[in-house]
Amino acid sequence: MEAIARALDSDLAYRFRRSPVAMVAGLVVVLLIGSAVFAPFITAQNPFDPGSLNLMNGFSKPMEPNQFTGETFVLGTDDQGRDVFATILYGMRISLFVGFSAVIFAMVLGVTLGLISGYVGGRTDTIIMRIADIQLTFPAILVALLIFGVAKGITPPDRRDEVAIWVLIIAIGLSEWVQFARVVRGATLVEKGKEYVQAARLIGRSPVAIMVQHILPNTLSPVLVIATISLALAIIAEATLSFLGVGAPPTQPSLGTLIRIGQEFLFSGEWWILFFPAMTLLALALSVNLLGDWLRDALNPKLR
Amino acid sequence: MKKLSFLLAATIAAGVGTAQAETFKWAAQTDPQTMDPHAVNSAPVLGFLNNVYEGLVRRGKDMTIEPALAESWEPLGGDGWRFNLRRDVTFHDGAAFTAEDVLFSYERASSEAADTASWFAPVSEVTVVDDFTIDFMTTAPNPIFPDSIANFMIMDRGWAEANGVELPAKDAENFATLNANGTATFRLAERQPGLMTVLEPFEGWWGEVEHNITRAEFTPVQNSATAVAALLSGEVDMINPVPVQDAGRVAERDGVGVITGIEARVIMFGFAHQADTIKYADDAGQPNPFRDVRVRQAVAHAINVDAILQTIMRGAAEPASQLVSPAMRGYTPALAERPAYDPDAARALLAEAGYPDGFSFGLKCPNDRYLNDESVCQAAVSMLAQIGLRAELDAMPVRTYWPELREDNFDMYLLGWSPGTFDAEHPVRFLAATPDEEKRLGSWNFGDFSNPRVDELLPMIQSEIDDAARQAMLDEVAQILQDEQAYVPLYVQPLIWGVRDGVELTQRPDNFFILRWVTINE
Amino acid sequence: MLAFIIRRVLQSVVVLLVVGLVAFSLFRFVGDPVDNLLGQERTIEDIDRVRSELGLDQPFPVQYFRFLQGVAQGNFGVSFRQGRPVADILAERAPATLELAAVSALFAIVLGITLGVYTAIRRDGWLSNFIMTSSLIGVSLPTFLIGILLIYVFAVELGWLPSFGRGETVRIGWWTTGLLTESGLKAIILPAITLGLYQMTLIMRLVRAEMLEVLRSDYVKFARARGLNQRSVYFRHALKNTLVPVITITGLQLGSIIAFAIITETVFQWPGVGLLFINSIQFVDIPVMASYLMLISVMFVVINLIVDLLYFAIDPRLSASRGGGH
Repeated sequence: MEAIARALDSDLAYRFRRSPVAMVAGLVVVLLIGSAVFAPFITAQNPFDPGSLNLMNGFSKPMEPNQFTGETFVLGTDDQGRDVFATILYGMRISLFVGFSAVIFAMVLGVTLGLISGYVGGRTDTIIMRIADIQLTFPAILVALLIFGVAKGITPPDRRDEVAIWVLIIAIGLSEWVQFARVVRGATLVEKGKEYVQAARLIGRSPVAIMVQHILPNTLSPVLVIATISLALAIIAEATLSFLGVGAPPTQPSLGTLIRIGQEFLFSGEWWILFFPAMTLLALALSVNLLGDWLRDALNPKLR
Repeated sequence: MKKLSFLLAATIAAGVGTAQAETFKWAAQTDPQTMDPHAVNSAPVLGFLNNVYEGLVRRGKDMTIEPALAESWEPLGGDGWRFNLRRDVTFHDGAAFTAEDVLFSYERASSEAADTASWFAPVSEVTVVDDFTIDFMTTAPNPIFPDSIANFMIMDRGWAEANGVELPAKDAENFATLNANGTATFRLAERQPGLMTVLEPFEGWWGEVEHNITRAEFTPVQNSATAVAALLSGEVDMINPVPVQDAGRVAERDGVGVITGIEARVIMFGFAHQADTIKYADDAGQPNPFRDVRVRQAVAHAINVDAILQTIMRGAAEPASQLVSPAMRGYTPALAERPAYDPDAARALLAEAGYPDGFSFGLKCPNDRYLNDESVCQAAVSMLAQIGLRAELDAMPVRTYWPELREDNFDMYLLGWSPGTFDAEHPVRFLAATPDEEKRLGSWNFGDFSNPRVDELLPMIQSEIDDAARQAMLDEVAQILQDEQAYVPLYVQPLIWGVRDGVELTQRPDNFFILRWVTINE
Repeated sequence: MLAFIIRRVLQSVVVLLVVGLVAFSLFRFVGDPVDNLLGQERTIEDIDRVRSELGLDQPFPVQYFRFLQGVAQGNFGVSFRQGRPVADILAERAPATLELAAVSALFAIVLGITLGVYTAIRRDGWLSNFIMTSSLIGVSLPTFLIGILLIYVFAVELGWLPSFGRGETVRIGWWTTGLLTESGLKAIILPAITLGLYQMTLIMRLVRAEMLEVLRSDYVKFARARGLNQRSVYFRHALKNTLVPVITITGLQLGSIIAFAIITETVFQWPGVGLLFINSIQFVDIPVMASYLMLISVMFVVINLIVDLLYFAIDPRLSASRGGGH
């Protein structure tokens, strides 16, 4: 198995080097993630520290000194006098954290339920797939609103604002696990019938071992593709939820919250508050999507 | 380019509109949820229905009380008011207006099922003297009674009885929810809840017609950016509100303009006055510093209201020093100064109170209730941080905000107050009096501010007929509230309407849009 | 077959009941409707009175049971905010959403299939690559932002299309349509693009992927070897074979178009059930929220059922099991 994985790896690497689109997209993703991770070393201002902000710096134009304070900001400032550049980097940390965590949550949940559903079958399968139907019925927005409310209700008052981020993660994760589950279930159904699984069963291997060691590896490539695309979806979903008012708190804005704030200033001429965060989100999501796209083709042996 | 696109917009708008030029279209954020003037006591409903129904008295362009269905009124000793009704008034369906309709409307509006019942709490009895004279008797002298019933709208008894709407419907639909029969300048021509409401002039109106509208269409547009787009593209003639940040652009744009005014609403911070401990953030469980007046004063000195007004409010609002704006009756001119922005003084006050290093606490804030409420709170957080007060901001929609405040889940909070009576007594009754469920006092005093002298003065203010004596008592209350820093008033919220060029209208400080003052010049 | 349908319908009923129960257990966390119903001058006593009038002081299973009792009698309750029967309100709003969904689905399917086929046939052409890449831009921005940008460009700056609403509508029986007036047709363009863009990209990519696979299958290779012309291979054989998964996914997407209409309707102030739902959240209008969720659930269940039946009809071996997209 490992040998196959390694071969796949090196094959992937080879195909990556052959695709300029994938390489550019990969570079952008690495660059963006890197600047988010190292944000404190890149910018002077910490936009999440209210004590460091000066309201009179508000609405500074990009590259122009502020009319009251004379300070200059490369990408301008928002209504609170936050440096847009610094806020984007810090905001990206939250968006990426929410995105990755949500996808991992969705993946673990979806893959587990998909495996069980496909392998065990029968009533278990029916129940899990009906739960998936229920899940699809609830728009992600609603799930988020409801979980948000519940979380507020059950957490002690002084811990509530920390909860917001986890609510986002769970809400977005819950809206995406069905994809994983369906794909894994489908693959499991196919693999289950194959001879090697039958053989493993005959020699008395436990179902868990069969699922994890034999079936799971065969579902990895579609799961990887879905995970990549889900990451882009999760980052966008976070932005949408912010628009509906259930996103990251305004004092610690994510990219989505920044866009929500920025769109209020679209008509008033302060285009930079919307434009730069939106372009960053676009670059991030587009690159991740392009990588996912390339990965889908690269991992699909039929397309070579 | 801009001009060209504007021409295009104009031609498209003209092509779309099938009606005449005098069709007036306007948009606001909230749809009046009912057409029943007694079912819901909320500004969107009362404001809208003021165009369809009329009261005994009404407010003029400058908010003064003027005759409407009552031609005149006079106090009856100390115990009530007599209203002399206008003759030759008919309802939209042609029925004649008499004192019987006033009595009926009183019974309807003060019933258990009505949301307007509290207006009539001081009324002990209503008697019809003759067809055009009616007496409202009160339990105690009540100098502002006529002012307090400006939104009490009169419904025809016969119409109500014929349609089975003798009482407002609380939890079911009835005929009056979707239909209206008033006496005012406009009659309801079409009602599609949440979509569109159409008004047409009432030919038989008793007053002198100032407007030249032949048809008025109201559309609720919730998203304010969409509303601005609709105004800019010529799809509507007027929007309310224009977001503060868009006012400048709308004003610059050819073909549209803004009308800015001062609303009656004062925005302020409130405190937990009685709580023993801080409830939020790192210092949760520690003794509550806001019980100390010096800490509250430090907060007042730490907030740079001018900076907030200059940036977030774009110069469109006025600073406030009291719970009412200068335009209100009973305002205290001597206390017009608000505490100066002075971080050093604030730090000194904190040190004096025993908090040289500050402390942390939770600040609650609505994010869909007042103009830029969330931004203002955020700015306050960073200003408070400069003097060492670490506020943890929790901003939420009003649907969860009020329940949260009612359950005392705050250390400090944001509140806006618009006095329904346009009188300084109103916020004292609701925000400063010690909460007392029985006497209906202090029902919005979430922080339980309590001062015996204020409680003592309030009933005296309420029944004082002499203006000077009344003002002296209101001044004393204002002084106490300022000395005690019961609240930190910030600013008076602006009113910003967007209007197409060629439309003339009047903006009233209560944010009511009165159609009979609209003229369209093409 | 009949047994399968009956079993699925029964399961669906259970699904609906569970959706309702979950929803009702969570409503009280959405907020408190009472403040919106009472004015400034309310007292705590008024609040308690209204709460008990609305039955909000009851535990949620009781509230749910009452709602179900009503539904069983065809009564969806009365909106807290408007004081009108929810069924009437939904009936007023449904045509707007259904028309928007239909037009955007049409847009997504027609354009999606066309572009999908094109990009599959010209797999490495520059135009194909351009279409593939630029289509990703559309799914890499949040829907609300796309809507706002479209309004900004086409309504505010160019003034070509209206920025909100449905335009003039014509009433046909209880149905109102905006598709018969010029202003109505203009009004639907931007919302339909906003709503359909994501599905369009999805369908296009699906068609392309399926086409590529089918084109490589032995079956098509044989067809080619038999000397059938290109066009016939592409459309008679390849496209036909890709349509099954496309129909499935499109069917499933139809439900989510209606669900996601919420955001589009909010941005464009489109007077459909999605906007109604957002408003009902804002005002904590529980009967409206509950009915909307029920409606959406029924729709999903029906769509799921139809998709399953299609599978069943096309490939009886699969019977009740379904493998998802790929």
